Amino acid sequence: MDYAIETIALTKTFADWWGRRKVYAVNDLTLQVNTNEVFGLLGPNGSGKTTTIKMLLGLLHPTRGHAFLLGGQGDDPKINARVGFLPEESYLYKYLTPRETLDFYGRLFGLPRAVRKDRIETLLDMVGLKAVANRQVGSFSKGMARRIGLAQALINDPDLLILDEPTTGLDPIGTRQIKDLIINLAKRGKTILLCSHLLADVEDVCDRIAIMYGGKVQAQGHVNELLEQADKRQITTGQISDQAMGQIRDILEREHAEFDLSSPMEKLETYFVRTVAEAQQQAQPTSGAESTTRMAGFLAGEEDAQKQVLSSLVQGQTKSEPKPSQAGTRTAKSAQSTEVEPKSAVLDSLIKKAPDQVTLETPKKSEDTAAPIQTKTQVNRGILDQLVDPGQQGDATTEKPRKGDSDHA
Amino acid sequence: MRSVWAVASNTIKQALRMKIAVVFIVLLLVILPVMAFSASGDGTIKGRLQTFVSYGVSLTSFLLSLLTIFAAIHTVTGDITQRQVYTVLTKPIRRYEYLAGKCLGILVLDLALLVAFSAGIYAVAVYGPDMMGADQATRQELSDQFYTARASLFPKTLDVTPEEVEAEYQKLKNNQTMDQYFAEGTSVLRVKDWIYKRMRLEKNAVAAGSQKVWEFKNVKVADPNGMLFVRFKFEVATTPEDEQIISQWAVGDIRPLRQGKQPNTRIYEVQRKDPVRMFREFVIPADAIAADGYVAIAFMNPPINQTVVMFMEQGNNQNLESQSLAILFKAGTFQENFIRGVCVVFFRLVFLAALACLASTFLSFPVAVLMSLVVFFTVSISGFVLEAFTFMDAAVGKIYNNTLALLIKGLPQFDKYNPAAYLVDGRLIDAEMFNWASWTIVWAAVLMGVGLLIFSGKELARDTS
Repeated sequence: MDYAIETIALTKTFADWWGRRKVYAVNDLTLQVNTNEVFGLLGPNGSGKTTTIKMLLGLLHPTRGHAFLLGGQGDDPKINARVGFLPEESYLYKYLTPRETLDFYGRLFGLPRAVRKDRIETLLDMVGLKAVANRQVGSFSKGMARRIGLAQALINDPDLLILDEPTTGLDPIGTRQIKDLIINLAKRGKTILLCSHLLADVEDVCDRIAIMYGGKVQAQGHVNELLEQADKRQITTGQISDQAMGQIRDILEREHAEFDLSSPMEKLETYFVRTVAEAQQQAQPTSGAESTTRMAGFLAGEEDAQKQVLSSLVQGQTKSEPKPSQAGTRTAKSAQSTEVEPKSAVLDSLIKKAPDQVTLETPKKSEDTAAPIQTKTQVNRGILDQLVDPGQQGDATTEKPRKGDSDHA
Repeated sequence: MRSVWAVASNTIKQALRMKIAVVFIVLLLVILPVMAFSASGDGTIKGRLQTFVSYGVSLTSFLLSLLTIFAAIHTVTGDITQRQVYTVLTKPIRRYEYLAGKCLGILVLDLALLVAFSAGIYAVAVYGPDMMGADQATRQELSDQFYTARASLFPKTLDVTPEEVEAEYQKLKNNQTMDQYFAEGTSVLRVKDWIYKRMRLEKNAVAAGSQKVWEFKNVKVADPNGMLFVRFKFEVATTPEDEQIISQWAVGDIRPLRQGKQPNTRIYEVQRKDPVRMFREFVIPADAIAADGYVAIAFMNPPINQTVVMFMEQGNNQNLESQSLAILFKAGTFQENFIRGVCVVFFRLVFLAALACLASTFLSFPVAVLMSLVVFFTVSISGFVLEAFTFMDAAVGKIYNNTLALLIKGLPQFDKYNPAAYLVDGRLIDAEMFNWASWTIVWAAVLMGVGLLIFSGKELARDTS
């Protein structure tokens, strides 16, 4: 099988001044990332994640072993043409404007002027920096620079996207947007290597993860498999009567099961995104976080821009349709972020007045079981739906399939 | 090639927006006009124009050289330390394309600035006489000696061999006359140096009341009806009170005279009175030159001068500036010559750009700048450096001669062929100069090649400089 990324016994040691080997940054790393997979490389600081990426891209030479990208070497221009890379910091030319920055990188890819112009405008729109597109990047905040960094990584419509700590310095909305983008790019057949120590980011979007420590992989596998607690069950409902609750309690007692009944808590990220979106809709003024507001506006409903970006990115790409099996996985992933967990049921139904729903699923080991990832049906559904081309995905506003329907049926 | 140009144009933007180029541009914009108004030279219009062109071209060349070094090193080392290479070199661009793009960007900027400032200098040089209201005689003089491109020939200074020095030294020792000249304990080397200099002076001196003849062969004048210029400078043993030397000259084919026959061509005789230690010229028709290209120049030092006049080359440089006697004849136009001069300056910048790119592939910004400046100043004063070590202790001298001296001689010697000096004298920048210029390009290619080799194998993500 052809892997999008493959390392074989990859090792990198750093020597001291006398040439004596001192540090094993990466030690005998063997890793395979499948095509059209979102792969998360996790680990604490100094665990070898970034060193691995640098070796993949030819910025560092392996001491031993091999690293392959899309079946070739990371310093081969033919391979580079199909890869997008966002380093751990954006490393931009301070004297260029965002538009010039993207034009420069576009020219490195040999993109014709018309294509460049088109993509630059849509990408600027997507990352919410169109209004400051003619200001020099040197005056930008870290988060704004990060957005340009992301845009430059996407200018060539890459088959493989390598993102090193993509959400560093971004506000929660920017973070959410990047995660949504990753999910949607994956739907269009892209492979994504996500390198992060922010576990929530990785958990939300990755199919598989590897956890590195001391330059070695300590654990790897599918996120769901790794996190599933097979000996527990979780029931999520809309608001139900006290009588029904009593009956459920009786049943559980008869089963001698340990249980805890309470209303679920909403995730802070979700709450934050919704609050800002509401403020934006009421057109409340903001002074400092201007970009954030703009981003929120962009997330809240500038539909055309986002559609344009993604359709321009997938233009002419033959494998833009996700493979059936992967599509299933991906849809389940999306469903995961739309599901409503027990404690949020009351609040949720109050807000959206949706018909009562019942989801039966296996809870995750994650600490924040009580804090569901996303109630996207209210706040972020708009974003995701805009990113999903209705032509391909059906009616974007319809209910997503449930996780239990696909993965755990 | 597209990506090379993308890097090049980005480099130009960087040099301009990061203000590196701006500093040098402002300096030139301020100094050149000031110079145009303040240059005085020897007070004549010709002198003013010569001074302006000389300093203008030299200053432009010097400042653009510094710009090249600073901007090239800044752009490459900056990309490495600030890690823009992470995003640039992971795009479909080879490392040699990247480095070539950086170098190209600097050179395009150089070329644009060089053309702009040279055009300004040229305009002042050409329209200067009109602005200063020059009379007809001055215009004629300028046309003959400044707005022209003259080829030059000069006689070889008679040198003294080490054997002759040794013989003289032994003589001095045997006659026990050493004490008259030197204190006891003076080193042999110093005594020999003194003997060498004295003998060299003797060989090239013309005593009062005697004469000297120089013969030139293969003098090929473009226009037989044109003019032949004799350029001279009197070095004297004792300066006359009025600091003037009276001289008698004869120019022509003197070979028949030696055989007691009538000369075939006209022999021109000239009498002059000129200040000492200053370059002066006189003009005679070019028909003084024989059909086979032979011409002789005779100099008579009249007894009334009461001093020895010496004609010899200063320093080791084979250029007109260091020659106290030369003949010149028109071989091209000022305009062509000016363009050639500007090209030679550009070739220097190519060399420096390649040097700076090489230095930045393995050194940090300050160290790379230091290294480049050391090389730049060394090649700019190569004549002085080589001369400074001529009389070294034998053992050290041997090591030096086989290492550093060889290297300096091999490097392009900027001072040896200085286009500004050529333009000032209306001297033709000839094939020899262009051969040298192509040698500069060869050096640039070698430096760039080494730079590419180092850069291609470099672990870019590991740089800690």
